[in-house]
Amino acid sequence: MGLLRWGRFGRLTIFYLILIAVAAVFIAPYIFAIFASFKSLSDIQSQRAWQPPSHFGTSNFSQVLHSQHFLTYLGNTAMIAIIITIGQVLFSMMGAYAFARLPFPGRDFLFWVYLATLMVPNVVTLVPMYIVMEHLHLLNTYWAIFLPYVLGTPYAIFLMRQFFMTIPEDIIEAARLDGCGEQRILWRVVVPLSKPILLTAAVIAFVFGWNNFLWPLIVTDSTSLRVVTVGISNLQSNFTVQWGLVLAGSLIALVPMLIVFALFQKQIVNSIQLTGVNR
Amino acid sequence: MTAVAPSTNVSTPAKAGGAAPGRSKRRQLGTAAFFLVPSLVGVLAFLVLPVVLVILLSFFRWDLLSAPKFVGGSNFVDLFQYDHIGHSLLVTLYYVVLNIPIQTIIALGLAMMLSRKLPAMGFFRVLYVVPFLATPVAMAVVWNWVFDPKIGAINTLLGYVGIHGPAWLGSSAWAMPVIAFANIWQYAGYNMLFFLAGLQAIPKQLYEVSGMDGAGKFQQFFRITLPLLNPTLLFVLVTGVIGSFQVFDTVFVLTNGGPGDSTEVMNLQIYQSAFVGFHIGEACAMSVILFLIILIFTVAQFAYFRRRTVYEMT
Amino acid sequence: MRRRGFVGILTVVACLVLSGCAQGWGFSPSNSNGKINLTYALWDPTEQIGYQKSIDEFEKLHPKIHVTIEQIPYNSYQPKLTAEFITHKGPDLFWVNTPFLGTWIKDKVMVNIAPKIKADHLNMSQYYPALVQLHQHDGKTYGLPKDWDTIALYYNKDYFAKHHVTIPKNLTWTPDGGGTFMQLLKDATIDTHGRNANSPQFDKNHIASYAFNSANDMQGSYLNFLAMNGSGVFPKAYDQKVSFDNTKGIQTFQYLTDLINKYHVAAPGAELGPNADDSTALQVFARGEMAMYMAGDWNTNSITQSTKFKLGVLPLPAGPSGRASVFNGLIDAINVHSAHPKEAWMLEKWLGSAPSQKILGEGGYIWPAIKSLDKYFLQAWKKKGLDLQPFLDEAQGKTVNWPVSPGMNEALTDMGQALGPIYLGSNSVPAAIRSAADAANHDLSTGAQ
Repeated sequence: MGLLRWGRFGRLTIFYLILIAVAAVFIAPYIFAIFASFKSLSDIQSQRAWQPPSHFGTSNFSQVLHSQHFLTYLGNTAMIAIIITIGQVLFSMMGAYAFARLPFPGRDFLFWVYLATLMVPNVVTLVPMYIVMEHLHLLNTYWAIFLPYVLGTPYAIFLMRQFFMTIPEDIIEAARLDGCGEQRILWRVVVPLSKPILLTAAVIAFVFGWNNFLWPLIVTDSTSLRVVTVGISNLQSNFTVQWGLVLAGSLIALVPMLIVFALFQKQIVNSIQLTGVNR
Repeated sequence: MTAVAPSTNVSTPAKAGGAAPGRSKRRQLGTAAFFLVPSLVGVLAFLVLPVVLVILLSFFRWDLLSAPKFVGGSNFVDLFQYDHIGHSLLVTLYYVVLNIPIQTIIALGLAMMLSRKLPAMGFFRVLYVVPFLATPVAMAVVWNWVFDPKIGAINTLLGYVGIHGPAWLGSSAWAMPVIAFANIWQYAGYNMLFFLAGLQAIPKQLYEVSGMDGAGKFQQFFRITLPLLNPTLLFVLVTGVIGSFQVFDTVFVLTNGGPGDSTEVMNLQIYQSAFVGFHIGEACAMSVILFLIILIFTVAQFAYFRRRTVYEMT
Repeated sequence: MRRRGFVGILTVVACLVLSGCAQGWGFSPSNSNGKINLTYALWDPTEQIGYQKSIDEFEKLHPKIHVTIEQIPYNSYQPKLTAEFITHKGPDLFWVNTPFLGTWIKDKVMVNIAPKIKADHLNMSQYYPALVQLHQHDGKTYGLPKDWDTIALYYNKDYFAKHHVTIPKNLTWTPDGGGTFMQLLKDATIDTHGRNANSPQFDKNHIASYAFNSANDMQGSYLNFLAMNGSGVFPKAYDQKVSFDNTKGIQTFQYLTDLINKYHVAAPGAELGPNADDSTALQVFARGEMAMYMAGDWNTNSITQSTKFKLGVLPLPAGPSGRASVFNGLIDAINVHSAHPKEAWMLEKWLGSAPSQKILGEGGYIWPAIKSLDKYFLQAWKKKGLDLQPFLDEAQGKTVNWPVSPGMNEALTDMGQALGPIYLGSNSVPAAIRSAADAANHDLSTGAQ
């Protein structure tokens, strides 16, 4: 209660100081990574992480960018992440609508089957999944990289279901009485009301598609199909770890994700303003 | 005002959809099928089929390259006899207990702060999600700069105030909290996103009404915000618990199970059985046990929330 | 505003899909230029450059064959190859990591090249005999040796000069803490007041820099000392029981961990990585906080790039049974499911041949497995100012092979975990050795099934 006497200005100052303190904890490791990406390997190894580079030499960045196929990797990754994002949001949205809003026999059971698949570690499903891909003759193609994630995932379906269920029944029933089919209800009623969570799901799908590592590595061999995480990982080995290159590569790969997230963030805010903050 | 007195309204989703009397079950199924087919194909082919194979393989001895041999339940017996699976389970549980409450509270707290209409909130939202974008490859070296006992950032800071910091990842008491910290660092902002979306879906009128009733901020939080966030909270907790039981990357990168076996979580043991020792049958058996444990926790969470979740926010 | 964003995203998608990403969508691309395509898998990006040079020569000699090097990150090498082996795919030729050797022999993923060696009259005596034996079992041979490595002590010449550390003529160690090596270690350990560990005022609670790394690493550390104390990790290849759980073994591990916890001359285990596994030791050395870095010669590139001071190399100190080093090397194996076994054998022969090993030796990538070519590697590094002679002396002296057996990889992982606490000072040596040996013996017996 003592805080109240400080008045609005004092409270806001404390509020922002807390935000900045949290941001400092979240960002500090990135500052270390940025500093290191401008240093030589011997500086990285001998200096403290928070010591800024003596000069901002860009040799790590140019070496990564000029390394044989890095731009190909970035292009592949962008394409795959976009495909995964579009497919995952669209198909998960449909599945989530069925689970949240359509009555059908066996719905709860099916929902639990979806959920249950999240509970088995990827490490052991990796080999069976690889065998499935082999039988589909899709190994070493782009299909193999995104097919398991593009048709909607239980995770995204669960997320959207939780939000679709909060939409008031009278709104949906009113649309039904107007003669809307279920598809129309989803597009015209549910989607506009659920923009924040759909955009959130899109960001998550994009980041997942962008950062996915082990699966793309295992199902593809060709350099022309390689994604950026694998490319970066190839810069290190058990013999020589080129931390400057690894971090420079990671930071380059981070930029598109940041841009996408900032754009979506704007969209989320806009969508809230457009629907009049709330329903 | 169902929100203030939760419990009776729409307790399960089953009511939704307005079961009009004329609709036959077949028709319902037909409509649902249209929406479900894409995800069903994906889930069956790339998730259910592999999971069924994993369950079957847990009764076989298979080293990946020679033909599988049926061994009944002996993989499960071996787990308890030789692999100290009980120890791994406890370690994993310890991690879940360290991780979930703190992560969820921080995520919710950040979301509450950033859902205020003040300048620069969008900027902070982006900043807080940045850790989620990190990849294990890069974090391996960065965490070493933070937690190294001698040159790490934390012990250097502690040194300024005269504290001789512990060896962190080299100490069996601290290693697990450090791993939990690294995961909270990475995922608190990520979970904040869900709470932000959830908070935005709460009608502001509810606060206005309760404000007139004279309810304080504190009461508003417990009587309006939290109950109406239940659908989001269920999602965040269920997926958080599922993910935490399967924690792998951070442990692999930071301690690889050490010191000793003090951070040897289930998923690390599963990985080592499968790809270091080639005992895929044992790895599958461990996965089945882990699956059952996660299932119990998930069912319990659903049951708990079922009684107190209000889905409709009218 | 919103629409523009959406259109923008659509445009990006369209551009990406159209921008020549056409390949990769079809089913198994077929090569139309009439060449036979071989895939060669390895994990090291530095050596990849050297091997590409060698393969360029190979392709000139065999214009009908095209070789693609597939580099797989080290940590994922094993899972990826395993998945490919299961489905009878995988590279035609691949590096074999010695920890997996026993398992891969048992699982028959590698072609036995003994008949081909005989048919082509290859001279196996040009290689180090230990390397040839390492990759033989039951009269079968799984690859031609290409390179080798031993363990020695890299040291910081500037540090030695600054702290007036003199190097004894003959480095010796005894398990009770005697020998000239202990003198050197004490001379090279400096407290924050600049006093070394031989000084009576030495402050063991405030040590600025240590003499070296006594790490929980079989190849890089304890197997060398076990061998020099008349013991070992493993009696002989393909046995199923480890051999360090005895008096000599306990004595050796006691000595190695006493260097950290009792004598305070070796860097604390916590600074060497998870379970003191040596993964961060190079950083301590590079910071100048460790006078010597005990490591295998494959680290030479990494060490020279990570450090700014003058480097030298010392041989390992000789123990009660003399001086001995772990000796290991890699082979290329031919995949039993290769579609082109004949061409794969041609590539195998090339990589095992003197012309190829000379290219890699001269480039400073590896010590060639052909004895007469070692001088090229030595010269390559001498030109860069580093004398690697001690590694060569050790290779030509008494050596101990990497232990080979099915299940060895898992056994070593479990041993690392059980032994970690003694390096961190939180368990007694006999107890840790007992549990390490039990775990390893169980892994070895199940690995052989």
